Order: sequence, then structure tokens, then C-alpha cells
Amino acid sequence: MNDMRPVTPNVRVSIQNLSFYYGRFQALKDISLPLYDRKVTAFIGPSGCGKSTLLRVLNRIYELYPNQYARGKVLLDGENILDSGQDVNLLRARVGMVFQKPTPFPMTIYDNIAYGIKLYERLPRSVLNDRVEHALKRAALWNEVKDKLHDSGLSLSGGQQQRLCIARSVATRPEVILLDEPCSALDPISTAKIEELIDELSNEYTIVIVTHNMQQASRASDYTAFMFLGELVEFGLTEQVFTAPKNQRTEEYITGRFG
Amino acid sequence: MADIAVTDTSLARTRITSLRRFGRSDARFRALTFLAALLVVAIFIGIMVALLRGAWPALSAFGWGFLTSTTWNPVTEKFGALPAIYGTLITSALAMIVAVPVGIGIAIFLTELCPRPLKRPIGIAIELLAGIPSIIYGIWGLFIFAPWFQQNLQPWLIDRLAGVPVLQDLFAGPPYGIGIFTAALILSIMVLPFITAVTRDVFETVPSALKESAYSLGCTKWEVLWHVILPFARTGIVGGAMLALGRALGETMAVTFVIGNATRIDSSLFAPGTTISAAIANEFTEAVGPLYTSSLIALGLILFVITFIVLAAAQLQLYILERRAGGRA
Amino acid sequence: MNRSRYFRRRAVNYLLLSLSVCATVFGLGWLLLILGALVRDGVAGITPALFSQMTPPPGSNGGLANAIVGSLLMSALAVLVGTPIGIFAGTYLAEYGRHGWTAFVVRFVNDILLSAPSIIVGLFIYEILVLQMGHFSGWAGAAALAAIVIPVVVRTTENMLLLIPNSLREAAAALGTPRSLVIRTVTWRAARAGIVTGVLLAVARISGETAPLLFTALNNQFWSTNLNAPVASLPVVIFQFAMSPYDDWHRLAWAGALLITFAVLALSIFARTLETRRS
Repeated sequence: MNDMRPVTPNVRVSIQNLSFYYGRFQALKDISLPLYDRKVTAFIGPSGCGKSTLLRVLNRIYELYPNQYARGKVLLDGENILDSGQDVNLLRARVGMVFQKPTPFPMTIYDNIAYGIKLYERLPRSVLNDRVEHALKRAALWNEVKDKLHDSGLSLSGGQQQRLCIARSVATRPEVILLDEPCSALDPISTAKIEELIDELSNEYTIVIVTHNMQQASRASDYTAFMFLGELVEFGLTEQVFTAPKNQRTEEYITGRFG
Repeated sequence: MADIAVTDTSLARTRITSLRRFGRSDARFRALTFLAALLVVAIFIGIMVALLRGAWPALSAFGWGFLTSTTWNPVTEKFGALPAIYGTLITSALAMIVAVPVGIGIAIFLTELCPRPLKRPIGIAIELLAGIPSIIYGIWGLFIFAPWFQQNLQPWLIDRLAGVPVLQDLFAGPPYGIGIFTAALILSIMVLPFITAVTRDVFETVPSALKESAYSLGCTKWEVLWHVILPFARTGIVGGAMLALGRALGETMAVTFVIGNATRIDSSLFAPGTTISAAIANEFTEAVGPLYTSSLIALGLILFVITFIVLAAAQLQLYILERRAGGRA
Repeated sequence: MNRSRYFRRRAVNYLLLSLSVCATVFGLGWLLLILGALVRDGVAGITPALFSQMTPPPGSNGGLANAIVGSLLMSALAVLVGTPIGIFAGTYLAEYGRHGWTAFVVRFVNDILLSAPSIIVGLFIYEILVLQMGHFSGWAGAAALAAIVIPVVVRTTENMLLLIPNSLREAAAALGTPRSLVIRTVTWRAARAGIVTGVLLAVARISGETAPLLFTALNNQFWSTNLNAPVASLPVVIFQFAMSPYDDWHRLAWAGALLITFAVLALSIFARTLETRRS
């Protein structure tokens, strides 16, 4: 975002000829796209363009529902995650996700964070405490909750709940973090905090964010993909997409002439 | 960086071992829930098989005549189901005639008229009617309602209606207090809350824009109810009424107390009668001889078939409603 | 504008709406009459002896101790057996089956069982347990009650789980949580108050059930906690005593009726407050 590096960064995730179907309806049409290591990539486009669908393929969360299929390849570190041999739970531990509305679990703040860690690691209490503290610090929430770790996660404000969810996701040590319009239910101040956080986290994680907010995409991302009616229209450095779009539809959308 | 790489490999290893554990417990848990769901179906099939097997001696002895015969004589071992079927159908039908309009009336009061602070207490009070065990209705009907009815209302009614065609036969004496009419009345109170509950629920699904546009034409409250809300809610109300009918048909204890247990068909609604469930409750443990017991089980089979048809139809109505509501959302 | 026509419409409006008030008064009236009679005729019988003495032969004093204990015993057993089965089956419907064909059949059958005549359940258990064992027993009574508990718990469990937003399941799954753990640690927990309400309503429902016990547990005049033998229960004793010609039995029947009604109503009101606190 701040400096233009001379060399292209490593590709962490490579989406190749991906198509997606809700029953007979084709929601994604032959999408190919790289996601760069430790960069923020934004998916933008009008509602129904498939940006959230694309995100939901990356951790195969769509498989919770019947009649949804993906065709094509998504390579994470060279492995096709769409292979039937790929364990979805392991995949989801490696690819974390934060949702539109905050989704704290009905348990204490501490347990919300410890929950994901305990799934895969058996740790002594003190180590677990450190991990929880570390995650809450990473999500810039520690100072606000350190005195009420054993209150219900539902007692927090909307913005705090969303940061709790980010902390929960970070705590399991994923490699990629998917954010599905993470600020759409939040006020401007909470939104600013989350954007700051995204910038911070991009030092360590590969981040994908879906947003309908143009300013947010331009502020918070390094790369931008513009989608329309299930197709990838344009992909490039955020600066280039926003200042000199190659495609006319991208330009119209960004300047607000449609969508 | 090196530090992260080291933890990454150990993390990967612990993740793999966790996964093996997950795979097994996932499959076990799913199988367990599936077995529990199958058990529900097994109970249903078990009921049908048990009833058919138990009823077989009677059905093969009497054939279709079992359904149409009015004889119920344990001494000669001649059994026919018609009086019990008649009693079951007539008490439930009468109960519905009272309960449907009253139940809808209460729902109208609660959704459209009731002052807000009274809404909850009155709503709960009506639902409590459904919570009172049926045996309480029975004991109350037998000891409190029937004697009062016999001494006050019944003679007066019989007196007044004498000479009026049809009605004089339906409400003919002598006043027993107990009988078909009393049983039906008590049934109607018992099923009221079901009708009210379903009606309230569907009233609340009527889009407020629809109501508001009717009001803005200058419609009175009643006109909005009659022309907009009720047509919209009809499917749901029919479903709720049929659910209530299913309950009324199978209700046992309340009816057993007050119906009089007379195995015959009388033109008067004040006469004692019987229903399928009352006959089973009264006679089953005293029944001697395999044919007697089997005949009672055959009655049970008939009741199960009747309630199945009614409840399945009710279910169908409510599914239609659900699909409609789902389609709109 | 036609004034007289408007007056007529207004009159019709008032007339019909006051009918709905009458309907409400009618419904509430019965409730008051029934509860009033219960208190009037039952309160005299609520004595320590009611809880400490056995059901008496006609003409002597006694209580309902054996019937109360029998009822508690069989209800507890029925809930213990029926609740887990109901919760698991409800979970299958809400979490795994959803729109599938199996789930449709299970849901349909369950809704039929929910409203099916309870006396039929009694006949069923008589056929499969009492006849096979050769005698009436507390086990059979508990089995009949369990068969009534299951559909109630299945229905409420499914309803409550369906109220849990999918986003919560997705969030848990997105951490790499396997399906069964998502259900056990997140969705069940979120739906807990509702499921408990369902179980309480099921308890309320079976504590008044008489018909399924008549020819499964039968009755027993004496103190017996042997579930392999006939066991007395409150509703069956009330039925027997109320239908008898003896005044002292009638008194006990009223006292028992008061006891059951208030236990059941207290349970359902408690369940309801749980439900509203949740929302």
C-alpha cells in the first residue's frame, strides 16, 4: 500500500478457472486470480456479482449447504483445496474467516478465543492464557476487555464483538484470513479501528476482504479485483484499478455511474 | 521468521492428530442423531403393527361388519364399533362448532383489541387452558358442571325446545347432566387454546402494509379483519382447527368422566353415549376373553386411522402455509 | 357520502368486536371456574397425611404418598430416556436432515405422534411390553410416558436449533471445527434455554397423563417402588377415586387434582419465563 515494491510478491493462493453453481445457477464464471502472500486483496462489485461467493469457496464454507458446487482449481501453497481428499476442517483452520455480522459464540470472551485454539492444540493453562492475551492484543481489544474476560462475549458492543471475532480467527494461527464485509454492520469509528487492524495484520497474514465500500477498498487493500455478474472484470494493484482502470465497466462502477 | 517456521511444523503435526479424532467422533455423532430420528419412525410403525396385530382376531371375526354394527355385547361376544365411532365424531364435531368461532374471537381480541399491558397475561391464561391436564377437566365436569347443568340449564332447555321441530329431538330429556352434549362442551374448552394460538400466529404474519392500505381506504377494524386478515390467514386457521380436531378426537379422560358410557346411538344430544377412547379407557382392563380385548384394540386402530387422516391433512395445510411464508420472505 | 350507511358499518364493527370480547370472557371464565372449584374442593385435602400416607381403602383415612412417588418415579424415568432421544432426533432434523427426504418423513411422523391420542400409546406399550412380560409394570408405564416425551422434545429442539442463525454455525466451522463439535459446543449452547423449555413442557405434559398409564402401570394400593410390578400414579388414582361412590375417596381425588394442576401450571409458567428471558 505504501511502497511499490519492484518485484511481484509470492503467490499464496492461486485461483484457476473457477466456476461455482447454486443448483443450476452459475454464480461464478471461469475466474482466475492470484492472491499474494501477506497482501490485502479486495473483491469489489455490485450486489450479486459473486464476490462473497468467491470468498466462500476459499475455505469451502459453502459445503455446509446442499446443491452448491465448485469446479476448477484453488491452489493454496500449490495444493488444490477443492480436491475431495482435502480435509475441510484442516483447510478452515488454515484459512480463517470473519463474517458480515459479528458472530460471538454464546460463551465468555476468554472461551470465545480459547475455543478455536483448543480444537487443534492441547496446551497447558498458562500457555493458553498467553495465546488468548496475544490474540486479543493483535485485535486491539485487550485493553478494553482484560478486566472482564469471563463476561459473555455477547455483552460487548458491535465493534468490539467484530474485533473479538477477528481475534478468534487470528488465535488459531491461520495463513489466510477472509473478511466478508466485516464493517457493514458497524459505525464509522469501529470501522476505522478495523481498517487499522487489517493493515496491521497484513504484515503477517494473507488477507482477502469483500466490501461494497469503494473508499474502504482503496484505503485498505493492496490489490483489487472487480467482479460483475459472476465474472472477473479487472484485477490489479489497487492504485492502478482506482486511478487508471483498463475496463470501462470498472470505471463506471468506481465513479458511481452504476451499481 | 525461523521461529515461526518451527511452530508451523509442530502445529501441522498436532492438527493432523486432532483431525483423526474428529473424523471418528463426527461420524459417530451423526449416526447417533440419525438413529434417534429413526426411532421416532420406528415408534410410529410399531404403533401401527401392534394395533393391527392386536385387532386382527376381532377384524377377522366380524369383518367389515365391525364398522357398521351397533351391537356391543360382551356376554354374547358380539362387538360393533358404530356407536363409539358415532360418539367420537359427534362430540368432536360439536366441540369444533363451539371452539372455532370462540377461538378465532379470542385471537382477534388479543391481536387487535387488547390493551398492551393485558396482552401477555390474557394470552398466557388462555394457553393455560391447554396446560390443565385432561383428567382435571373430567373431574370438574363430573362433579361441578354436570350437576349444575342437570338442575338448571338442561330442564329449561328441554322445556323450551319441546315442540320445535328437529331441535326437540336433538335436545330431548331426561336431564342426566352427563352425556354427549356435556362431553362436547368440555372438549371445546380444551381445544380452544390450540385454535387461538395458531390463529394468533398467522394473524401476525399478515404484512402490515396490507392492513394499513385497507385502513387508509376508510375500512373499519372489522372490515379489515373480515376482508383482509381472515382471507390471508385462512389456510393457517384451517390447519390449526384440524390440529385441534385431531386432539378432540383422541381426547380420553375428560370425555370418559362425563359421557355416560352407554354403547348406543341416541338422537338426543343430551343422552349418554360413548367414544372410542372412553370405551377403551373404561373397559380395557376389565375385558375378559381375547375377542373382547381384540375388539377394543380394533377400536383403537380405527381411532388411530381417523386421527392420522385428520392430523396429516392439518400438517399439509400448515406446510402449504410455511412454504407460502417462506416464498415471500 | 352516505351517513346512514356509515353508521351501519360502525354498528356492525362494534357489535362484532364486542363478540370477540365475549369470546375472551368465555374462555377466561372457564379457567377461573375450574381453578376456583379446584381450590375450593381440593385445599381441605392438602394435609401432611396426603404426602405421608398410602392410598386408603374406602371408609378410612389416608393419603396419596405412593401415587405421588409412583408418578415422580415414572415421569423421571420417562424424561431421562426420552430427552436424549428427542434432542438427538431434533438435532438430526435441524442440522443434518433439513431438506432431505428422510427428514421430511421423520418430521411428518413426529408431528403426527405429537398430537396422536395418548391412549393409543398405552395400547401400543400394552402390546409390546405388558403382553410380553406377562404383567403390568412401572417399566411399561415409564415407557409409555417416554413415547409421549420424545415427540415434544424433538419438535422444540428442532424449532430452537432453527432459530440459531446460520452465521453462527459458519463462524464455528470457519475455525476448522468439525460438524459434530459445532453442534455440541456452539449451536446446542446457543439454543439451551429453548431446549430446556421444551423438556419442561414435556414434563408438564406427562405429569397429567392418565390414559397411557391405565393399562401399562395399572395401579397399586400399596407402597411400591418396584418398577417390575404395577405402580400407582397420581392421575390413575384420581381417576379411580373420582369414579368411585365414596366421599372420602372423592376428597382425596380433589386434593390430588389440585396438586397436579398447580404443579403442571407452575412448570409451564416457569418454562415460559425461561423462554421470554431468552428472547
